Amino acid sequence: MHIDIHNLSFAYGHKTVIQNLSLSLASGDYLVVRGKNGSGKTTLIKCLLGFNPVGSGMIFFDHQDINNFNNWTKFGYVSQKFEDFNYEYPVTVDEFLYIYSLKGKNQSKRLKFLDQLGILEIVNENINNLSGGQLQRVFIARAMLNDPQILILDEPTASIDKLNTQYFYKTVNELHSQGITIILITHNDSLDNMNYTHILSMYQDLTFAFQSREKVEKEEE
Amino acid sequence: MVFLSFFADLFAYEFMLRALVAGVIIGVLAPLIGSVVVVRRLSFIADTLGHFALVGISASLLLTSLGVTIFADEPLFLGIFFSVIGGLLIELFRRSYKNYKEISMVIVISLGTALSAIFFSKARATGSIYTYLFGSILTVNNYYLYAIIITAALVALLFILFGRQIIAVSFDETSAKFLGINVNYFQIIFMVMLSVVVSVMLESAGVLLISSMMIIPVAAGMKLGWSFKSTFIIAVVFSELSVFFGLWLAYSLKIPSGAAIVSINIFILLVVSIVKKLVVKRQALKAK
Repeated sequence: MHIDIHNLSFAYGHKTVIQNLSLSLASGDYLVVRGKNGSGKTTLIKCLLGFNPVGSGMIFFDHQDINNFNNWTKFGYVSQKFEDFNYEYPVTVDEFLYIYSLKGKNQSKRLKFLDQLGILEIVNENINNLSGGQLQRVFIARAMLNDPQILILDEPTASIDKLNTQYFYKTVNELHSQGITIILITHNDSLDNMNYTHILSMYQDLTFAFQSREKVEKEEE
Repeated sequence: MVFLSFFADLFAYEFMLRALVAGVIIGVLAPLIGSVVVVRRLSFIADTLGHFALVGISASLLLTSLGVTIFADEPLFLGIFFSVIGGLLIELFRRSYKNYKEISMVIVISLGTALSAIFFSKARATGSIYTYLFGSILTVNNYYLYAIIITAALVALLFILFGRQIIAVSFDETSAKFLGINVNYFQIIFMVMLSVVVSVMLESAGVLLISSMMIIPVAAGMKLGWSFKSTFIIAVVFSELSVFFGLWLAYSLKIPSGAAIVSINIFILLVVSIVKKLVVKRQALKAK
């Protein structure tokens, strides 16, 4: 799926967070969005997912305006701190994935994803007893379950340790190699383990730089 | 002996049998809706809707006093109508106070209580207020029983068709979007369903105790459950036990049924909490 952003601006009240941002991604690209806290990374993702109404500018998915777009099942999303999730009610990993599967996605598929992510043994565990790393992978499995074309990950490694972070980026690289478009937001993770194709650097003074990997590497040389 | 005579009376009198059937259905319906309400962290919502259903009941009594007899026998109609209005008002206020959603319930419960008090004060025959406040399952008539059966059937159908989506939205509204669910549309359907359930439970549970019948069995189930399914089954078992023994207490001691059922619910929750604490402590000692 093509993503085109033209002159996007967004403000919370009078506070402008994004100003005239434009970028274009082709199907299968892997975009890393970098920037300090408050540079507008999460705001941009919320605009892309339709949670923040586009103030001015335009967003297109496969040339379709976001305001008329309703094919959200093509998206997989892992939010920053899973803050929207209810942690206290008993629910097993398998039940949790079942709840968020579209029709026709059976248990064998759920088990396959858990196996791929290395957490098959926790399939019948209560989700509230999992470690940060395990929970992280369950949320990725959920985002992957319905065969999304785009996977959006908002600071996915914020609550996991170094080893799990490396493992996590390996998993994302594998998903990217299967043709899934990746948009990954990171605060300060090293780019070494990522097979990214583009970088968007966002700054607190509302400027930004959107560059291809080749260009970034050339500049570093 | 007392218990045996209760059993004999249960099947000897039609009103007892009606109360039992209504109780058994509510015993499943209350924790079913209660599970969703707890997951959505809206435990006070049934209370709020109950207060708005009470507006309908009081309006019905007022209309009867004024000589309008259309709602004289069955205040349930207006009860459901106002409860649905209350539910939609909560949804409306929830959207304008996104980060302080509980404010919506305070606004609606206040309005509901104020309007009920005004209507009751102007109505002449207010003898049944007590029933609506604390519940009287033993006086449930055929009309009410049918309303409970039809509501239960509709809720069951909704859960069979959309149970997965209802739970998905309840756990995490953000991610429900990626299942192709229109969350706003869904919230409204759920609110209407909840409003109708609260209204039909009003006579048996009482406006002050509806919330407890929905939430407390689920709270006890959460202490023992290891999965969503097991938590629900445990909650239903506790709920049915409370209904049955509550019915017995209400009949034997001539106390309001809602109060009797909720007292047993609380007793079960207490026992479950203490036993669980002891078991956990023992396991910790063994591990040492």
